[in-house]
Amino acid sequence: MTMFLRSRHFALACAVAGGLVFPITVNAATLNVMQTEAPRSMDPGDQTATYTAALLDPMYEGLVKRDPDLSLKPALATEWSADASGLVWTFKLRPGVKFHDGTAFDADAVVKNFARHLDTKRGLAASGRLRTFLEGVTAVDPMTVQFKLKTQYPAFIALLTTGPCLMVSPTADAAGTIGSKAVGTGPYKLQEYKSGEYVIQAKNTDWWGSAPKGEDQIKWTWTAEPSVMNMALQTGDADVINPFPAAFAAQVKANPEMKLSTTDGSAVFWVSLNTKLKPLDDVRVRQALNYATDRDGIVKAFMNGYATPANSPLAPVTPGYDKTLNPYPYNVEKAKQLLKEAGYPDGFAMSTIVQEQESRIGELLQAMWAKAGVKLEVRKMEGGVWSKAAFQDPAGKEKDNIGSSIASWSSGVNGADLQFRPLYYTKSASPAGANLGFFSDAKLDELIDKAASTLDEKARNAIYVDAQKVVNEQAPHVLLYTKQDLFATRASVKGTWVIPGGLIVVKDAKKQ
Amino acid sequence: MKAYITKKLLALPLILIGVSLLVFVAIRALPGDPARLMAGPEATQEAVDNMTVRLGLDRSLPAQYASFAYGAVRGDLGISIKSKLPVVAEIAERLPFTIGLAITAYLIAIGIGVPAGMIAAIYRHGWPDQFVMILAIAGASIANFWLALMAMNTFSVQLGWLPLLGAASWKSFILPSITLAVLPTAVIARMTRSSMIEVMSQDYIRTAYAKGVLPRNIYWSHALRNALLPIITIVGLNFGSLMGGAVVTESVFNWPGIGRFLVDAVRYRDYPVIQGVTLVAVTGVVVINFLAEMLIAFLNPKIRFD
Amino acid sequence: MASVDTDIASRRPAVYRGLRWMATHRSITIGGFLIGIIVLAAIFAPLIAPADPYVQDLLATMEPPSLAHPFGTDDNGRDIFARVIFGARISLAEVVLAVGLAVLVGVPLGILSGMSGRYVDQAIMWTMDILFAFPGIVLAILIVSVLGSSLINLLIAIAIFSVPVYARLSRNLTLGLKGMDYVEAAVSLGISRRRIMSHYILRNAIGPIIVQSTLTAGTVILSAASLSFLGLGAQPPLPEWGAMMSDGRNYLGLNIWMSLFPGLAIMITVLGFNILGDGLRDLLDPRK
Repeated sequence: MTMFLRSRHFALACAVAGGLVFPITVNAATLNVMQTEAPRSMDPGDQTATYTAALLDPMYEGLVKRDPDLSLKPALATEWSADASGLVWTFKLRPGVKFHDGTAFDADAVVKNFARHLDTKRGLAASGRLRTFLEGVTAVDPMTVQFKLKTQYPAFIALLTTGPCLMVSPTADAAGTIGSKAVGTGPYKLQEYKSGEYVIQAKNTDWWGSAPKGEDQIKWTWTAEPSVMNMALQTGDADVINPFPAAFAAQVKANPEMKLSTTDGSAVFWVSLNTKLKPLDDVRVRQALNYATDRDGIVKAFMNGYATPANSPLAPVTPGYDKTLNPYPYNVEKAKQLLKEAGYPDGFAMSTIVQEQESRIGELLQAMWAKAGVKLEVRKMEGGVWSKAAFQDPAGKEKDNIGSSIASWSSGVNGADLQFRPLYYTKSASPAGANLGFFSDAKLDELIDKAASTLDEKARNAIYVDAQKVVNEQAPHVLLYTKQDLFATRASVKGTWVIPGGLIVVKDAKKQ
Repeated sequence: MKAYITKKLLALPLILIGVSLLVFVAIRALPGDPARLMAGPEATQEAVDNMTVRLGLDRSLPAQYASFAYGAVRGDLGISIKSKLPVVAEIAERLPFTIGLAITAYLIAIGIGVPAGMIAAIYRHGWPDQFVMILAIAGASIANFWLALMAMNTFSVQLGWLPLLGAASWKSFILPSITLAVLPTAVIARMTRSSMIEVMSQDYIRTAYAKGVLPRNIYWSHALRNALLPIITIVGLNFGSLMGGAVVTESVFNWPGIGRFLVDAVRYRDYPVIQGVTLVAVTGVVVINFLAEMLIAFLNPKIRFD
Repeated sequence: MASVDTDIASRRPAVYRGLRWMATHRSITIGGFLIGIIVLAAIFAPLIAPADPYVQDLLATMEPPSLAHPFGTDDNGRDIFARVIFGARISLAEVVLAVGLAVLVGVPLGILSGMSGRYVDQAIMWTMDILFAFPGIVLAILIVSVLGSSLINLLIAIAIFSVPVYARLSRNLTLGLKGMDYVEAAVSLGISRRRIMSHYILRNAIGPIIVQSTLTAGTVILSAASLSFLGLGAQPPLPEWGAMMSDGRNYLGLNIWMSLFPGLAIMITVLGFNILGDGLRDLLDPRK
């Protein structure tokens, strides 16, 4: 009797434990993609994170899209033209397109999509870059829209492929659900979103562009653990890993069942120095820190060589990049000498804030700068917390004694203005933009403005070369390196590609 | 007996009130304006003001506590800053994973700890006793996350037998539950041993020996039955430390339970979640401890916990 | 000068007696030996360690154990052996600070509770019950999330969750001792309460408190390492054992040494405290 009771309890407990925990597994043809971080929103206009953009890419489309050769092609617009001033652009919209919720895609939807970014009360995360140049959007007829720009803006069409310009269903936006339930026009639609675990996307059989080419389903998972990413690929639990942790790259290269893709990226990593805080307001001190930084060492130790030491604030893939610029050589003596000239013969103490996954950069710099007498306090933070700390105004940073911030910026292939303006322009000083060190240089501002309204590419790039020289000279950042985009797939996966900066495109990927 | 239960029953809500007060005060002691924190970094002043009213921060502290407690009782623990979903819903989604892990770990701990403790008691001072006791003290001295890393390295990375993380299949259960079971196994083994030794020195066991009852029957039917009580005690009263272990274990194994949820919330400074998870976890522990005490008081009116 | 002779004469029996004592108190001997090793490592860390625990060598990262680096090097090319040795200093400091703080707060509270009347006693015990209701790690996480992640804040948190243990222990001891004849005699002689607390009760409670502290020391090290592992305690570049393992976990499948050795160090230390605590309990705690 006792025995019987006991085993029944055991069985019951097992059933409870089992039934509660095992989720339904995904069958059918599923492409499993694993990234480093969870999506920050299901609304492409309310996030600026590359890996969130990659996850949302199969579900959303803009008026214009990028092809694998990075050229710009019609998507939800079929054709467009500008008037002679370059300020008024007219787009013809693709007929017969519907959002996943059945809402019709038309001029009204486009107008509402841009209006929400121009509405300062909404405070969507990606609105900033549109507001700088976009005056307004109006409907000409149900299938035609007109954009009015404040100034000429060479990167305008390229920008239409990015987050804030991807079309969300106005119905879902009005209902306030778009942040947790994606509704776009893309070849995949959201099937399930479990915030702690995964996103599953299913083929959109009503897609305007005939049958989607990829697998039936795409399942996205994420982990911050490099070893887990590596394991998942080894065991086949994941078909695609983006970005692939550089430390494990050698293992993947040696295995014929897997494929490692390395392409020149566009993410430039740097330490933004708080130019409003002593002694970093002194250009000699900022230059000294640049001399005290062993870029090759960081590239080797942190990126296992999968990066290029930075010689410019622009990435090599960015139009206008000048490869002839000389980077600061690693020279501790020179650093000490500059510090001495600036009145700090014994060095000084400062702090830096860094996100968890990049905290090792902080540790490496801590040891390097110590040799020049600079005592660096590294404050490691979760991404969201870091953003709050990094995007403070000068007073806030002074109060928290934040001397510098380690981060990266990627403007992809969308033009040098998207690198210069947010990072170094006076008016972009945080919290307005990503000029986290409040750098201000009248000459640089002028160059940035001049380049932005120069439509001739050659002339524009020449101005950007001057701008790069100013940044190198004034050293508002300690420029570290440009990362290569690493992603890995099982050898059987075909059709994945990456937009420089790490935005992986998997909607056409097939397992063979 | 009745007085004891009444006293405990009266103490229960007092403890829960104290726990909620402590959590409430801790969250209010945070630097910065909770309304701004909860409204998010891009919020306008208007949104912050709305949040202030919504959170009731414009009212007096006792009034705030009253509405917080009232909300908690009704199952309203606020909205997560990170996911913008109700904290209760987020916890409900993850709680089954934690409970499942805890039950499995306890089954393992009892399944190994009780027989091991019995063997140690039967062969008291012999090598099986020493062996079990050395293992038990080692088990209580090991960092469970270290054990987890070593096990992951061996069974997942090197041998490829078990999944490295997550809760995708029954195989995912093996490493986290064993890791979590190590400490309770050690505690249960020691407890079983000492209570068996005590029971076996009792008169009625000696009488049974004298009557010629088979030793095996004595161990299983007489001694174990009487030793069960302390085991229940340990299982019930150690639920708290199991929960603590779950926080770490879940984080190592990326287990989607409330323990990892709590750690993630701290890293993100998602205060409503920290508040909610702490409250739920501690309430669970308090109630289970209470039930264990009641069960024991019911089974054996002589035992008291004072 | 006659004493010289007696010294020599008594030496052999003294050694002999010492060995006998050690044989009969095996737990204290083994535990004390393990803790002794850790204490010596901590004191003489700069002499033992072959390298500076903070100096990076980016040309020699993640090397396996070798003669030059007995435990290998970590991802920043630092010597793991040196970091483990210096880590002993941090762990022992953790024990001294957290246990010390818990004793300083918990013991007076417990004695006060035991000596005082109903209401003070109940109020103190109610507070202790509340703290006790929290799983230690959960309470520590709550406190660290308020104070911010740092080693000192973490130790404060650990001390706070250890306070109820000492308060309960010393209250029970006080209640037991209060009934003793000599304490009752002291009360009837009109000796002040403060004097009774410090001279009569505290003196007799010291044994059990030492035993408890030894056992708590293990918990302190494990908790501190767990929370540092989760990123809620010691910050880089401190060679805290839990934080070191947290780095090592990023290279699982590539390099096991970074996680293996700090974990072994934790195990030896905690094992030492636990065995020593068991032995001391048999020796010092009259309640057993």
